[in-house]
Amino acid sequence: MNKRTQLSSSDLSGRFYTLMLKAYPTEFRREYGPHMAQLFRDSGRAAMRDRSIGLIFQFWATVIFDLVKTAPIEHIDSLRKGKSVMNNLRRDALALFGCIAIIVVALLLLNYGRANEVSTLLLLGYALDAIVVTGVVGNFIVFLLAKTTRINPLKAALWTFLIVNALPAIALAIIGPRIDPQFRLAATMIGYLLSFIFWYGLHWMWALTKGRPRLAGDGGQ
Amino acid sequence: MRKNISSKSGSSRDPLEFLPLTPAMFHILLALADRERHGYHIMREVEERTEGMVRLGPGTLYGSIKRMLSDGLVEESGERPDPEMDDERRRYYRLTDFGYRVATAEAERLAGLVRSARSKKLLSRV
Repeated sequence: MNKRTQLSSSDLSGRFYTLMLKAYPTEFRREYGPHMAQLFRDSGRAAMRDRSIGLIFQFWATVIFDLVKTAPIEHIDSLRKGKSVMNNLRRDALALFGCIAIIVVALLLLNYGRANEVSTLLLLGYALDAIVVTGVVGNFIVFLLAKTTRINPLKAALWTFLIVNALPAIALAIIGPRIDPQFRLAATMIGYLLSFIFWYGLHWMWALTKGRPRLAGDGGQ
Repeated sequence: MRKNISSKSGSSRDPLEFLPLTPAMFHILLALADRERHGYHIMREVEERTEGMVRLGPGTLYGSIKRMLSDGLVEESGERPDPEMDDERRRYYRLTDFGYRVATAEAERLAGLVRSARSKKLLSRV
């Protein structure tokens, strides 16, 4: 086995092991996945160094047996503590109702302001408008990203709300003055800026309730 | 060598409540009895000490460490024995005082078993 073959097969087996780690509960994987992968690489290198098929076979047998034996134990442990299922469900439900409540309140305030011509609310209207629209779209995207990918939810919220606020703001800045002569560019921009700060701030605080918010990779596998 | 081992006492708890330990846990405690180590070091130490009879896989090792951390038998160490030679992402672990007491209690329990085996002539006297 030459050095290049050894390196690429070691990379490949490292990636394969990272996939195998998905058999463990998410919380366990987040906490120990990188260290388990490191341990796998270290012991894999040692087995490869000896260039013995028997040792490599023994190494993989140990790894697979270990996974089959310990993944169910960790799942049972995780279920027993009720962390991964009930807590996440409760948090998701709370977050969903919180978002709906905020959007409904913003919508009601906006309608009330328009119906009664309350000047303070009308000034706030630009921000409320943006909060309602970007809240519905942005939170839906963040929810999907958080549930279907391994992207850090706070990072997903940052980019999603940046995009869903920036896109309509730019579009309105371009077409707004053409379709409405009384279009207020500055108020619209401030509205979207406030909307971004509001929703991202909310996600930041939500992340705080779970632990220290981290924008960098969550270290998961 | 106990000078670097944590002073986390756990004095209110009885080490006997944790017995018997799983073989993996006892091997890890033994590996950490003389110095702090990271995961791969622990695995190598166990393998060498048992002459390859016991091989701890990543899941067994970190699953046991997770439970021992939550029971206060081991703790993470912020120190790096040789920072220049080592990857700073590695986590080092060390025994707590309570972990040391649990390991001692388990060793005494096993020694008692060996004495019983000897008295039943299952082992020759050395």
